Amino acid sequence: MFRGNTAAMFALIVLGLIMLCAILGPWIYPTDPFDMVWAPFSPPGVDGFLLGTDYLGRDLLAALIHGSRVSIVIGLAAASVSIVIGVTVGALAGFYLGWVEELLMRITEFFQVLPTLLFSMVIVALFGASLPMITLAIGVVSWTAVARVTRSEFLRIRELEYVMASRASGATNSKLMFRVILPNALPPIIVQAALMVGSAILFEAGLSFLGLTDPNVVSWGQVIGSNRQYILDASYTVTIPGLAIFVTVLCISLVGDGLNDALNPKLRSR
Amino acid sequence: MKYSIKGIVASVALSAVMATGVIAEGHKTGGTLVTVLGSNVRNLNSAVQSGIVTGYPGAQLFASPMRYDENWEPQPYLAESWNVSDDGLTVTLNLVKNAKFHDGAPITSEDIAFSVEVIKANHPFKSMFAPVESVDTPDAHTAVLNLSKPHPALMLAMSGQLMSIIPKHIYGDGEITDVKTHPRNNENVVGSGPFKLVEFKNGEHVILERFDDFFIEGRPYLDRVVMRIITDPAARAIAYENGEIHMGAFESLPRIINRLKKVDTLTVTPDGYGAIGPIDWLAMNTAKGPLSDVRVRKAIAYAVDKNFIHKALMQGTASDSTSGIHPDSPFYVAQDGYDVDLEKSAVLLDEAGFPVKDGSRMSLTIDFGWPGVKPQVEYVKAALKKVNIDVEVRASADFPTWAKKMGTGDFDMSWDTVFNWGDPVIGVHRTYDSTNILKGVWSNTQSYSNARVDELMAMAAVETDIEKRKALYTEFQEIIADELPVYHTNTLPYHTVFNDKVKNAPMGIWGTSTPIDTVWLDE
Repeated sequence: MFRGNTAAMFALIVLGLIMLCAILGPWIYPTDPFDMVWAPFSPPGVDGFLLGTDYLGRDLLAALIHGSRVSIVIGLAAASVSIVIGVTVGALAGFYLGWVEELLMRITEFFQVLPTLLFSMVIVALFGASLPMITLAIGVVSWTAVARVTRSEFLRIRELEYVMASRASGATNSKLMFRVILPNALPPIIVQAALMVGSAILFEAGLSFLGLTDPNVVSWGQVIGSNRQYILDASYTVTIPGLAIFVTVLCISLVGDGLNDALNPKLRSR
Repeated sequence: MKYSIKGIVASVALSAVMATGVIAEGHKTGGTLVTVLGSNVRNLNSAVQSGIVTGYPGAQLFASPMRYDENWEPQPYLAESWNVSDDGLTVTLNLVKNAKFHDGAPITSEDIAFSVEVIKANHPFKSMFAPVESVDTPDAHTAVLNLSKPHPALMLAMSGQLMSIIPKHIYGDGEITDVKTHPRNNENVVGSGPFKLVEFKNGEHVILERFDDFFIEGRPYLDRVVMRIITDPAARAIAYENGEIHMGAFESLPRIINRLKKVDTLTVTPDGYGAIGPIDWLAMNTAKGPLSDVRVRKAIAYAVDKNFIHKALMQGTASDSTSGIHPDSPFYVAQDGYDVDLEKSAVLLDEAGFPVKDGSRMSLTIDFGWPGVKPQVEYVKAALKKVNIDVEVRASADFPTWAKKMGTGDFDMSWDTVFNWGDPVIGVHRTYDSTNILKGVWSNTQSYSNARVDELMAMAAVETDIEKRKALYTEFQEIIADELPVYHTNTLPYHTVFNDKVKNAPMGIWGTSTPIDTVWLDE
C-alpha cells in the first residue's frame, strides 16, 4: 500500500512542507519580494540573506516563499480546470457513444495535435497575462489526456454487471454516469490529476520564463525568467528557484506514482 | 614571460593610439570587412526607410550631399560646396562633377530634386524637408532648395542616412509614393555610394562590393563588406570574441559591453552616436490623473535613484542624460538633476494633495514596450513604493500593443527610448510639441503642452544664428527638466565594437549610418 512506498511517503512529507510554506510563508517571512532590501547580487548567506539578492537587490528567499503560493495555486487550479473539462468530455463520450463520442473525440484530437505551449502562449497573449487567464490557458491545453483516460474507463465499466443491474433497476443516465460509473473510474483519474499538477507548475514556469506572466505577481518561473540574463554574473538567482520547481514537481510525480501503485488493483499486494 | 608582457604593453599602446583617432601614415587597400547587423532589414533604401538597421547598408549604397566629422562640422561629400542665402531661404548645392550611379549614369541635380521629393513623400521624419517647397535645377551640377522659412536643421538632414540620393531613372518609373515598396529597394539596387550591392538575403546577410567608379578617387579602401545578420546579442558577442566578425555597432546590453571590454583584441567604444542620439526616459502622462500635477512628477523624480539605474542596471556603460537632447549634441546643456530625496518627494506629494491613506498615496501603472527594459520598470515600482505609491506593472503582449497604449494615452508611466536623429527639430521637438499629440508612438505621447516651449521650438527651428539658437534650446531644456513630461535618466549605451585589424572605424556622429569608405583592414 501507499505507506509502504518509502519514496512516495518521503515525497509526500516534502510536499506537505512546501504546502505549509506556501500557506504560512507570508506570516513567517513577511519581506515583500518586490522590495529592494539590499545591494544587488549579494550572494547567498552573505549579509544575512539566506538565498542572496537579485539584480535589483530584492530578497530571493522572499521571492521563493511568496512565489511558492502562486506556483502551487496555479498548479492546483489549472489541474482542476483540466480535470473538470476532461472528465466531462470523457464521461459524455464514453457513456453515450455514437455521434456524441465521435464529435467529442474529434474535438479532443483537435486539441491534442495543437502544440500546447504555443497554444497557451496565444491565449495569454490575446487575453492578457493575468493569473486567472494563465490558469485557464494551462487548463484548456492540458485536459485531453484526462478525457481519454476517463472515456476508456467509462467504456470498460459501462458494460460491467453492476452497471447493467443499476440500469435495469431504472437509474437515470446522470445517476449512472456520476453515481455508478464515475466513482469506479476515479483511481486512474486521480493519478492523472496528481501528475497534472506537476506539469501545470512546469507550464506556468515556462510561460513566465518567456515573460508571459503577470509582472506584479511573483512566481518561481517569473524569478527564473527575469534573472536569466544574469546567469553568468549570479547563477544562484536562477538555480535556486529552478531547484524549487524541480523538487516540487519531482515530489508530485513520486506521490502520483505511489497513488498509482496503491490504487491499481492489479499491483495491489494481498 | 617577459616577451608576453612586452606584447601586452605594445597592444595597449597601439589601442591607445587608435582610440585617439590618430591615423598611422598610409593605409592598406583591399580585403573583406566582416560586420554585423543586429536585426533583419526591411528595406535597403534609406530614402524611404528610417532606422539604424537600414542606415548602415543604406549609407554604403547611397551617398548624401554632405557628411559630418566628429566635431559636428559638415564636410563635402556628394556636394563639393554649398551656400545658404543670407535670408536662409535658399540653399544651393554644388555637386561633384564626376559622380556616377552604380549603373554608370551620372548623378545630376535632377536626381537631387527627385530624391527630396521621394523622401518628403515616404520618409517618416516629415520635419526634415517640410520647409523645402521646391528644388530648382539650373544646371546638371547645381541644385537649389527653396525653403518656405529658414531651416537650419536641413544641414544635418542632408547627411548620414537621412538624405540618400537615389537615381530618378530607376526609381522614378511610377508614382512617388510607390518608391516605398519599389522592387529594386532590395534587389538590383542602383546606388550612389561607395559600395554596390552583391547579394541581400534577409535573415542571413547583405554583401557589398567596392564601386570602382566612386566619385572620391581611391576610395573606398575595402574590396568587400559583408554584413551578417545575427539577431542574438550573445551570439554576436561570441563572434566578436573569436574574430569571426571584425566590427559591429549599436551593441547596447551592459553585460555584453562589459564582457567585450575585457577582450584584449577588441576596442569597445561609446563614441560616435551623438547624432543618432538615443536616450532612455521615464515617460509620464501629463494629461491624466495625479501625474498631470507637476509636483507629483517631481516627487517621482526625487524617488527614482538615477545612480542606481546607472550603476546596477546600466553597469556603468551609459552616460547621464538630463534634458531631452543627447549629451553629445552641441545644443546640450546639462541640467540640475533630481538627486534621490525621499523626504522632499513625500513633502511634494503631500502638497499635491496625496496624503498616505492605509499605507498608500495613489496607484499608478507603468508599461514597457520590449523585454530589455523590464528591469527598469521593476525598479521604478520598487522605488516608488518607498514613497507609498503603488505601481502596477503592465506587460504588453507585443510591441504594437504597447505602441497603441502610448498613442492613445492609455498609460500613467512607461519606459521609453527615443532617438534625437541629428538636429533637435528632427528628433527632439516631436516629444514636446503640443501640436504633435498624435496617435502614433514617439509623438508627444505624454500630451505635454506648454506655450513657451512651443514658442521656443518654433523660434529655434528658424533661427540661423547658431549662438542664438543655442540660447533658445538652453531655455527649452531648463523648462523641460523643470516640468518633467519625461524624466531623463540615461543615454542608451550604444557601443561600437571592432578588433585591432580594423582601422578608421566610424566614430563620427552617425555611428555606422555613415559611409565607411575610409575604413581599412590591417592584415
